[in-house]
Amino acid sequence: MLHLQPNNLLIQKTLSEAIEAYGNGTPLTLDRIISDFDYTTFHISNASEDKLTLALSIRTKAWQSVSQCTGGPGLVAYLQSKYANYSGISASSVPESGYDYTLLLDLGKLQPEAMKDLSLLKTLVLGYAFQLAFNEFVTLSAAPEGTESETNILHTIKYRDDENLFIKPSYDRITVIFETIFQDETDKVFGKVFLQEFVDARKRNRSIQSAPQVLFSHEPPLELQNAGAVASMNSSDTSRRFITFVLFPRHFQTPELQFSTLSHLTLFRNYFHYHIKCSKAYMHSRMRYRVDSFIKVLNRAKLDEEEEDIDQQSKQQQTRRTITGRKMVSY
Amino acid sequence: MEDWRRIDIDSFDPNSGRLTNDDLIPPYAHHVTLQELQPKIAQLRSLATSGDMSSATKLATEDPPYSADANTKAVYFQAVLEALTQVRQADIATIVKQLSPQQQDVLVKYLYKGMSLPEGQRQGGILLAWFEKLTQSSGVNPIVHFLSDRRTV
Amino acid sequence: MSQSLRPYLTAVRYSLEAALTLSNFSSLEVERHNRPEVEVPNTSAELLLQPMHISRNENEQVLIESSVNSVRVSIKVKQADEIEQILVHKFTRFLEQRAESFYILRRTPISGYSISFLITNKHTESMKTGKLVDFIIEFMEDVDKEISEIKLFLNARARFVAEAYLGEFVY
Repeated sequence: MLHLQPNNLLIQKTLSEAIEAYGNGTPLTLDRIISDFDYTTFHISNASEDKLTLALSIRTKAWQSVSQCTGGPGLVAYLQSKYANYSGISASSVPESGYDYTLLLDLGKLQPEAMKDLSLLKTLVLGYAFQLAFNEFVTLSAAPEGTESETNILHTIKYRDDENLFIKPSYDRITVIFETIFQDETDKVFGKVFLQEFVDARKRNRSIQSAPQVLFSHEPPLELQNAGAVASMNSSDTSRRFITFVLFPRHFQTPELQFSTLSHLTLFRNYFHYHIKCSKAYMHSRMRYRVDSFIKVLNRAKLDEEEEDIDQQSKQQQTRRTITGRKMVSY
Repeated sequence: MEDWRRIDIDSFDPNSGRLTNDDLIPPYAHHVTLQELQPKIAQLRSLATSGDMSSATKLATEDPPYSADANTKAVYFQAVLEALTQVRQADIATIVKQLSPQQQDVLVKYLYKGMSLPEGQRQGGILLAWFEKLTQSSGVNPIVHFLSDRRTV
Repeated sequence: MSQSLRPYLTAVRYSLEAALTLSNFSSLEVERHNRPEVEVPNTSAELLLQPMHISRNENEQVLIESSVNSVRVSIKVKQADEIEQILVHKFTRFLEQRAESFYILRRTPISGYSISFLITNKHTESMKTGKLVDFIIEFMEDVDKEISEIKLFLNARARFVAEAYLGEFVY
């Protein structure tokens, strides 16, 4: 499994189970909590008296910061528009307590095609900020020359405790900046190797020349410094790194491309960490194997037990025994 | 004294039979000083610069200044190290064969000492080449002598 | 095998062969104790032999400390950069946690070295000395090989992963 999928398989599975059970006339009573990356939790439940309606709630760390992004219809309205095409999905006016957003699903009307989009809920939440940036790019690029200097729109997604994601639209590009911190010393070193390869990959491999340019720095990039976002950061932390993706119009020309780009970018951190963990696991299994081979070599040094056995047998032949099996030992 | 139970009373007893590192150094009638050693160091250097490596090695490993103090030994060692590292790899085997067993024992001491110090470690390759040739000609003997010899260079 | 590795391993081999002449020796300090003299704070200097340093360069060294009934072999594994440091640390730690199946492995290395072995007379009595030496030599060879292989693998994987990710953006 090389790539991570943007949708949540468990949601998909749970929903199809629920629909199937409903169709068979034996509706399920559900109360299921599903976790996703970056402190995201889903809750799928229904009330015991009303099995027709399922509630799908999401809680994510990024919710607050994404909903504060200005310049669009608002996060809730955006999500509403995404699901408006499907019948049987309506947003609950009051989200379930402890959750940020709740969708009510009418099992009787829910189409199987809607399930894919429902499982993308988390990506859509994060994607709102990207969508805003895509829209802003259009207005910025249409603006006459010379006015681009006053673009200091910066969308910040606080999707983890210490790590943020910044999106800065400009008149000719969109810059996406990831801030990362490695807790673990090994991760830090491995991460450095991986990041370096991300930076170099485009230069080395001609077939991916058109991919976004990746930059990697210890200092906050200029985009952030200008926008004054740096002040809030703890600059004393030396393990902080910044990874910048520069998106050019070719990466978000059509809605399909936009969605593909944002779904990959929102998973960048997860993808990256996932492969660090994979490398560690591989390293571990290699070491395990190597330890075994070392033990084999060391065991070669042991005096052979077989040889001793043979010695004992030859001795036994010499010792005579009585009829009861006692040894006759002569001194 | 709070912890009098832990006092090692044996160490206060001159007849306890315990030996310290200093006790193991053989008594020397005369301690070589740096001044007395200077002519030898000069000779060693001139042999090394003139390219007569065989004589230089023999001189270096003949009668090393066991009785000298640490400082003198360090100066002498520097001269020996310089001489040893100037030898060409190809000549090492012939030179080692010309040494007497006693001289080989001394040579091993300088090799180990060299590898324990940063200046020798930088020349690790050449010292290891000496070592290899030495073991090829006399096997494990010089090393065993080194292990138990209390006279240090 | 590279040009300078062979003399290095030969030197270690000969030094070990010379040092591995151990005999049973009861403690002079404590009644009915029998302890590896190289490990205990020793008040009897005659029990310790001259330590042997073997170094290929500043980053690759072996220290063999010998005593009447035990030998301590400490190896400093080459650590050229940050990645190798981490890998060596991980690998030696991994081994040390399995020290009981390695008999001669010391649970912590002595300071300044990556990994230490402690061979006592018990080991030389129950194992073939020659094979013990073989083990240490093979260990030294394989550790270097293993570390550089893991490092290569890591780079290869990172490259592949990065290209695969960015490849998704090519339309």
